[in-house]
Amino acid sequence: MSCVSELSQSNEYLSFRSSIPLRKIVVDSDGSKAWRIFDSGPKSVSCPLICLPPVSGTADVFFQQVLGLAARGVRVIAAEPPPYWNMKEWCDGFKRLIDYLELDKVHVFGASLGGFIAQKFAEVTSNCPRVASLVLCNTFTDTSVFEYHDSAALFWLLPSLVLKRMLMGNFTTDKLDKRMAEAIDFMVERLESLNQSELASRLTLNCTPCYIKPQALLHLPITVMDVWDECALSSRVREDLYKSYPHAKLAHLKSGGNFPYLSRSDEVNLHLLIHLRQFDGTDLSASYISLHKMPAPTNQPEEGTVSYFNQREKVVKIS
Amino acid sequence: MSSRKKALLKVIILGDSGVGKTSLMNQFVNKKFSNQYKATIGADFLTKEVIVDDRIVTMQIWDTAGQERFQSLGVAFYRGADCCVLVFDVTAPNTFKSLESWRDEFLIQASPRDPDNFPFVILGNKIDLDNRAVSAKRAQQWCQSKNDIPYFETSAKEAVNVELAFQTIARNALAQETEAELYNEFPDQIKLNANDNGRNRDGDNCAC
Ligand SMILES: Nc1nc2c(ncn2[C@@H]2O[C@H](COP(=O)(O)OP(=O)(O)O)[C@@H](O)[C@H]2O)c(=O)[nH]1
Ligand SMILES: [Mg+2]
Repeated sequence: MSCVSELSQSNEYLSFRSSIPLRKIVVDSDGSKAWRIFDSGPKSVSCPLICLPPVSGTADVFFQQVLGLAARGVRVIAAEPPPYWNMKEWCDGFKRLIDYLELDKVHVFGASLGGFIAQKFAEVTSNCPRVASLVLCNTFTDTSVFEYHDSAALFWLLPSLVLKRMLMGNFTTDKLDKRMAEAIDFMVERLESLNQSELASRLTLNCTPCYIKPQALLHLPITVMDVWDECALSSRVREDLYKSYPHAKLAHLKSGGNFPYLSRSDEVNLHLLIHLRQFDGTDLSASYISLHKMPAPTNQPEEGTVSYFNQREKVVKIS
Repeated sequence: MSSRKKALLKVIILGDSGVGKTSLMNQFVNKKFSNQYKATIGADFLTKEVIVDDRIVTMQIWDTAGQERFQSLGVAFYRGADCCVLVFDVTAPNTFKSLESWRDEFLIQASPRDPDNFPFVILGNKIDLDNRAVSAKRAQQWCQSKNDIPYFETSAKEAVNVELAFQTIARNALAQETEAELYNEFPDQIKLNANDNGRNRDGDNCAC
């Protein structure tokens, strides 16, 4: 893939890629299927924050969360699934991944499809909980909000070019500032890097009829994060989410478009910190230091401490 | 515009610690008050829907600890603020004297487009106490000298003027937000999709 967008040339992104290795982890009997993860922060933390991307995203779309939160001692794992074609397969695979990583429970930050699946995973594991809390970003509780129900069964045979066009049409909005435009450029690059089965499987999950039963999640601490400018989700979808989780903390952003973790990373990181702070000093803490302590005022960029990465072999196979 | 966009108003409460910032926010949002003092640590926020001139708006109210000075909060904290509420304790003159520096620091950190007209609201809190040390007149004079900042005397404990003050905060914030929208917050705006404006916002396409 040729990377030419501003963000993929930025110092932050380059330092992210040079300090944290991309690991491929196979947890399925099909050895060609591998999760791709970036795992930062101290390994002593057994309840990290896992970030799950939207349909068109790769694990590195969360590089600014990994960098920004690692500076506060938070272990962040950005994870991208291999092609799974239904929700059960996906959830089973994810459970094997967190078992493999020896994590009891995890906090999940899920964007769009990633947020939908995070809710589903929390729902299906509610008897034996693996999810400590959720931060749901620009997401939904029912796939019927999309208009592709009828075609969901056909995505697998559409060429990747067609699938990419379908997604690309949603990227732009009327009103863009520079950071939003850069975020879109970056996401277009990630989308270009995905192959047909990756895209088709994610679109299938995104559009196959499925909904969340929020009753199973009412005991979970939840932050609902959404962007109030034009974005892929209408205000009706956002309101549905608030109604599903009346106990959730609502972290609205005024603007940021579809990809606020890229375009408004500082605000998103602040909300993530506020969310994670409630677990300070408990077994569920995602950080090895207190998040209540404000960092000393400095002007140095917050990248200094991303050095806890795992040096294990990059491809790990589970038989 | 047929259906007006729902407004999100970002309000920031500042002032020395102990003046009642957290209590005022809790009284307004949760209708609760506690005599117990629990220091606020780090920044946090609450949201509340209010109606301003027949319009439903969502207020996102940010509370701070007071002792942490601004730098540590970072620009994300201030970005897009629509109103800044400065609180002092009418029984503690030094908290009144701090107002000036809180205001200045806010203007430096938030750097609003039009600092002279950025909406502030001043709250003189704890008027239920007997040992008052800053007179209403003195506070009003100061507010007048600062471009006529609205001033309210409140008690978070007895819920005096809290609702009224936040109504004014919401109205002034809304005016600020609307103006920012008109002016266009993004001078480097890029127009895309010129023919796509009529697209159906109810049926969403895909979750990117
Ligand atoms: N009598 C009285 N006490 C108040 C009032 N508002 C706050 N307090 C008390 O003042 C103390 C500090 O309040 P707090 O809201 O934590 O101040 P903050 O540090 O500015 O957030 C607490 O003990 C409150 O109970 C008020 O209106 N009247
Ligand atoms: Mg406080």
